[in-house]
Amino acid sequence: MDENKLKADALVVGGGIAGMQSALDLADQGYQVILVEKEPSIGGKMIMLSKVFPTLDCASCITTPKMSAVANNKNIRILSYSEIQSVQKNGSGFIANVLKKPRFVVEETCTGCRLCEYACPVDIPNPFDLNIGAIRAVRVPFSTAVPQIAVLDMDNCILCGKCARACPVDSIDFLQTEKEVEIEVDTLIIATGFETTPIDAKKEYGNGKLHNVIDGLIMERLLAPTGPYARVIRPGDGKEPESIAYVQCAGSRDETLGVPYCSRICCMYAIKQAMLIAGSLPMADITIYYMDIRTFGKGYEQFYQNAQAMGIEFVKGKVAKISEDENQNPVVRVELIDENSQIIERTHDMIVLSVGMSPKYNPSQVYGVNVDEFGFVKSPTPNLSSTKTNQPGIFATGASTGPMDIVDSINSASAAASSAASYLESVRNGK
Amino acid sequence: MTEKTNPKPEETKIGVYVCYCGGNISDVVDVEKVAEKMREHPNVTIARTDMSMCSDAGQSIVENDIKELGLTRVVIGACAPSLHEHTFRGTVARGGLNPYYFHHVGLREQDSWVHSNNPGGATEKAVRLMYAGIAKANLLKPLDMIKLKAERHALVIGGGVAGLRAAYDIAGRGINVTLIEKTPFLGGRMAQLETVFPTGNNAREDLHSLINEVRTHPLITIHTLSELVNIRGYIGNYDVQIRSQSRGVSGDNAEAALAACTQEVPDDFNYGLTKRKVVYRAYEGCFPSTPAVDWEHYDGKPIEIDGQKVIFENKKKTFDLRIGAIVIATGFQPYEPPRGDYGYDELPEVVTLPQFIRYMGLRDGNVGELTWKGHPVRDIAAIHCVGSRHLAGVHEPQPDGILNNYCSRVCCTATLHQVNELLDEYPNINVYDFYEDIRTYGLEHESYYTEASKNMVRFLRFHGDQRPEVAAAPEGDTHPVLVKGKDYLTNGLEIEVPVDLVILAVGMVPRPVDDLVDMMKIPKGDDRFLLEVHPKLRPVETPVPGIVLAGTAQSPMNIQESCNAASAAAAKVSVLLASGQVELDPFVAKVDLDKCTGTGDCIEVCEYEDAIVLETMTVEGNEVQRAVVTPANCSGCGNCVSACPHHAIDVQGWEVAHYEAMVDAITMEVEL
Ligand SMILES: Cc1cc2nc3c(=O)[nH]c(=O)nc-3n(C[C@H](O)[C@H](O)[C@H](O)COP(=O)(O)OP(=O)(O)OC[C@H]3O[C@@H](n4cnc5c(N)ncnc54)[C@H](O)[C@@H]3O)c2cc1C
Ligand SMILES: Cc1cc2nc3c(=O)[nH]c(=O)nc-3n(C[C@H](O)[C@H](O)[C@H](O)COP(=O)(O)OP(=O)(O)OC[C@H]3O[C@@H](n4cnc5c(N)ncnc54)[C@H](O)[C@@H]3O)c2cc1C
Ligand code: SF4
Ligand code: SF4
Ligand code: SF4
Ligand code: SF4
Repeated sequence: MDENKLKADALVVGGGIAGMQSALDLADQGYQVILVEKEPSIGGKMIMLSKVFPTLDCASCITTPKMSAVANNKNIRILSYSEIQSVQKNGSGFIANVLKKPRFVVEETCTGCRLCEYACPVDIPNPFDLNIGAIRAVRVPFSTAVPQIAVLDMDNCILCGKCARACPVDSIDFLQTEKEVEIEVDTLIIATGFETTPIDAKKEYGNGKLHNVIDGLIMERLLAPTGPYARVIRPGDGKEPESIAYVQCAGSRDETLGVPYCSRICCMYAIKQAMLIAGSLPMADITIYYMDIRTFGKGYEQFYQNAQAMGIEFVKGKVAKISEDENQNPVVRVELIDENSQIIERTHDMIVLSVGMSPKYNPSQVYGVNVDEFGFVKSPTPNLSSTKTNQPGIFATGASTGPMDIVDSINSASAAASSAASYLESVRNGK
Repeated sequence: MTEKTNPKPEETKIGVYVCYCGGNISDVVDVEKVAEKMREHPNVTIARTDMSMCSDAGQSIVENDIKELGLTRVVIGACAPSLHEHTFRGTVARGGLNPYYFHHVGLREQDSWVHSNNPGGATEKAVRLMYAGIAKANLLKPLDMIKLKAERHALVIGGGVAGLRAAYDIAGRGINVTLIEKTPFLGGRMAQLETVFPTGNNAREDLHSLINEVRTHPLITIHTLSELVNIRGYIGNYDVQIRSQSRGVSGDNAEAALAACTQEVPDDFNYGLTKRKVVYRAYEGCFPSTPAVDWEHYDGKPIEIDGQKVIFENKKKTFDLRIGAIVIATGFQPYEPPRGDYGYDELPEVVTLPQFIRYMGLRDGNVGELTWKGHPVRDIAAIHCVGSRHLAGVHEPQPDGILNNYCSRVCCTATLHQVNELLDEYPNINVYDFYEDIRTYGLEHESYYTEASKNMVRFLRFHGDQRPEVAAAPEGDTHPVLVKGKDYLTNGLEIEVPVDLVILAVGMVPRPVDDLVDMMKIPKGDDRFLLEVHPKLRPVETPVPGIVLAGTAQSPMNIQESCNAASAAAAKVSVLLASGQVELDPFVAKVDLDKCTGTGDCIEVCEYEDAIVLETMTVEGNEVQRAVVTPANCSGCGNCVSACPHHAIDVQGWEVAHYEAMVDAITMEVEL
């Protein structure tokens, strides 16, 4: 087949947990699926997490086999490091123009041996570890990446050629250019996910400039066994923190930040991280400053109660301000609602801002789908069929449709696959 | 299989892999040490470790080793087999080996997690478990999956919004669906709502748009007043028996019967707020529109229709169907507080939220002033978490011994939605909202909270172990009821709020489905809701193949979440049935006909219907009885193996010889 023109039944955009699940549910019904992922590897946010609530499975124990199942499914084809440029209607189906970005590595021959990576003299901040820790200019994105193919960061490459000499299969190609691929499909699923709300948005919380104030996602990397240090330390000075505090709703439920909604996951991830920290730093004091604890899902309330029993301190209070003392210890100014709303200052060694979720990508231009004021894809029937969009044949799932944890994302993804399958059948039966 | 493809134990070439499990195992077990020990084993060709064997990279290592080193067996020490045994069988198969030439050793649940305080011991145990795995691997035989024809026909149990959604989606995939609903009418609890969050749409209008799609779909058959009474068989081939009751009235005499009926009973659609006749429609516009007789309450007396005395007769009928997969969508019921709790069932001014919604829906247009039992309503208290978030040691368990310690997820937003609607209409009413945490978690839910605040709802926060109390006000007070409690938004101040009406935001409990649970052998969780296999890997599947869950039968959910779960269930059913064929693991009993003498001891102990039976066959000219297994019915439990006096039965993949070899290996001298 002409590699610049592909044909399939369904196109799934975004290879996070939602997109992977949609792709698998369609492929397992016998449909041909193309999965387009913007990054060099599929996996989304979930592959970056440490352990996941409510079961505390390690995130990669759930994600990597899914990634592998996607890679090994004969009905799924992954186009990584690719983005959809435009989508046109084509009868009841669609034609999508995809731009495959140059990896500067020949995908067909690279074996993922990493010899190039070992040879490269250039260290750059590691995006997978949110730029803490370093990685080479050419590398396999992370150890469990799918596909296991190197990618070369031309912006940082000094063109020394060491990688090319090290590569046993001659896969480094400095002259590679981007490639356009045209994909003809009958249905499309948008699963472009979320990004965390910015840590530097709030002046009162130091605009991201305080040394030992981090966000929840960085804490995930600190807690992950594959993370940069494989233990929890203060970013400011590398010291082991003895007192850690979580500030909830930092970035959500805040009109002034343009995020009035609740991000739905941050209460649970904060409790989860607190429990994990309590496990690895048993002597540390952990405090969670919250307005409402929203542990609404199956088994979540018990999770919260367990955390209380473990001695994690839950303080109902509004954190008005975070500053730092001369030792770079963060100081919170908090109104203790349970204690006559008195305002006090408390010093901690480290603060985690429980940042929320906002959409990663706004698909309204390219796909013509309606989005809400925040950019989440909006369903015309949010109750009865939440994965439908205003465009017949285009569905949306996971965190691209609103804040959602993994369990809810997976159900939403299977639901999108169901709706897409029904659409495919109705088109084929000429309905 | 023949000996040729099955090398002798001493000739096997085994690849052994020990997984760090991202730290889950390696934090306790010295994984490198274990691998080192494995290399001493004569059959081990290669022993490796990896951060996560289940990743694509990890799996590729195994695949390559099989191909390049000519491995004949693979043993992987990792998480629980329930998690990734299946994953690794795929790996082994891609490497070119029979997928059952693989053994999975559980080093996480069975070792690192339970011995986290004893790393040395855990490492030794890992070595022993791995040796046992190797011993078993040596004896493995190649097996084939059991392939079965699957009936392209699904049964959906429950005609609420989840069941309807699942039925429609499965049919959309071209698969036949039979939908059974226990009551005479479709719609479930959603029909009892008025406007719904987050759309503000009318619940019954939305519901009926779906009902219309379902009832006009050519592949869907609906049976109301119907229940599952018996089930046999297995995935792809369930034989189910369904019992239907009749409606009692038919098109010709229905309207007349409805008009003539005089016997009245509390109307369960309105949660007992009103009465209805025993010949009834659940609500105007319900589907089916033909009324039905309420058999539970009908007193059996004749009713005079057009001058004729008619006695209604419940003509029950049962019918059988062959079904490939089953969706359970039996839904929830609102928690009903025991008499006296928060004054419920004692004080007439105390209602549950579902009752309140019905009350508001029953009003005849806007009546200027809201009244309750004839009195104007000026002040209302809403109390959250009634029947939810109970604490051990503080709250009494329910009569069944279970503590309702979960959050019911829907009641916060549902309460604030109702309160806002109420205040839109009656801005002068004061609302006091007693809560512990406001859980308006969804994208569009928080706005109900902010709107309630703008509407001047007074929020009062209790602690879970100090919930508010409701009592009758003293004679002559301005209001009939007092709500007392501590408000932790004002430093635990003791407060007493006089009100005209108390709304209890009751939680959700599952509908009683013990009959289904027993018949289908599916598990319930600690919270009584039906239990999924794994919340992330298989969130809508039960451990019984081909039986999946949809909606609030599984846990509290709002409509969107119920419909998503239902569509997800439909996706799983479609995956199972789309090809018309299902595959099962071959771990089932196998009878060695040379040893079997037909004692029938095995049949006595087998707990699964038709899994093993005696059949008459001819051996050397004589008619004899021999045990025969139907693989699809066999669970592989091994009861028969232990019962057979002639050791004629083995469970494939888990033979007695395997266990013996494993026990020998486990008890071997190990030096670390
Ligand atoms: C700190 C933190 C901790 C968490 N912990 C937990 C937990 O313990 N348990 C739990 O259940 N949930 C947890 N979550 C939530 C969880 O991460 C999300 O529910 C889940 O990742 C959502 O999956 P998704 O596939 O919808 O989105 P994503 O994971 O964001 O995946 C989207 C994918 O689409 C790709 N993409 C984006 N735009 C495009 C484009 N234009 N073209 C092509 N591809 C594109 C992205 O690169 C990405 O791979 C946590 C979240 C955070 C922030
Ligand atoms: C007070 C209140 C207000 C709410 N407001 C909202 C809202 O505004 N927005 C929102 O999104 N959600 C709301 N909800 C939640 C919503 O009601 C549920 O999510 C939804 O009704 C669940 O549907 P279901 O199909 O799972 O269950 P159900 O509606 O309970 O349906 C189950 C069906 O199965 C039938 N059945 C049971 N057992 C059997 C059996 N053995 N055989 C055959 N049939 C059987 C039942 O008769 C019933 O018809 C509210 C809930 C409550 C309690
Ligand atoms: S050419 Fe670029 S990528 Fe390759 S080794 Fe040199 S700096 Fe690294
Ligand atoms: S580019 Fe070459 S050296 Fe780098 S991983 Fe691929 S095959 Fe190995
Ligand atoms: S989930 Fe919790 S922390 Fe996150 S926005 Fe909602 S209430 Fe705040
Ligand atoms: S949703 Fe709100 S009222 Fe309902 S149990 Fe949870 S916290 Fe309580």
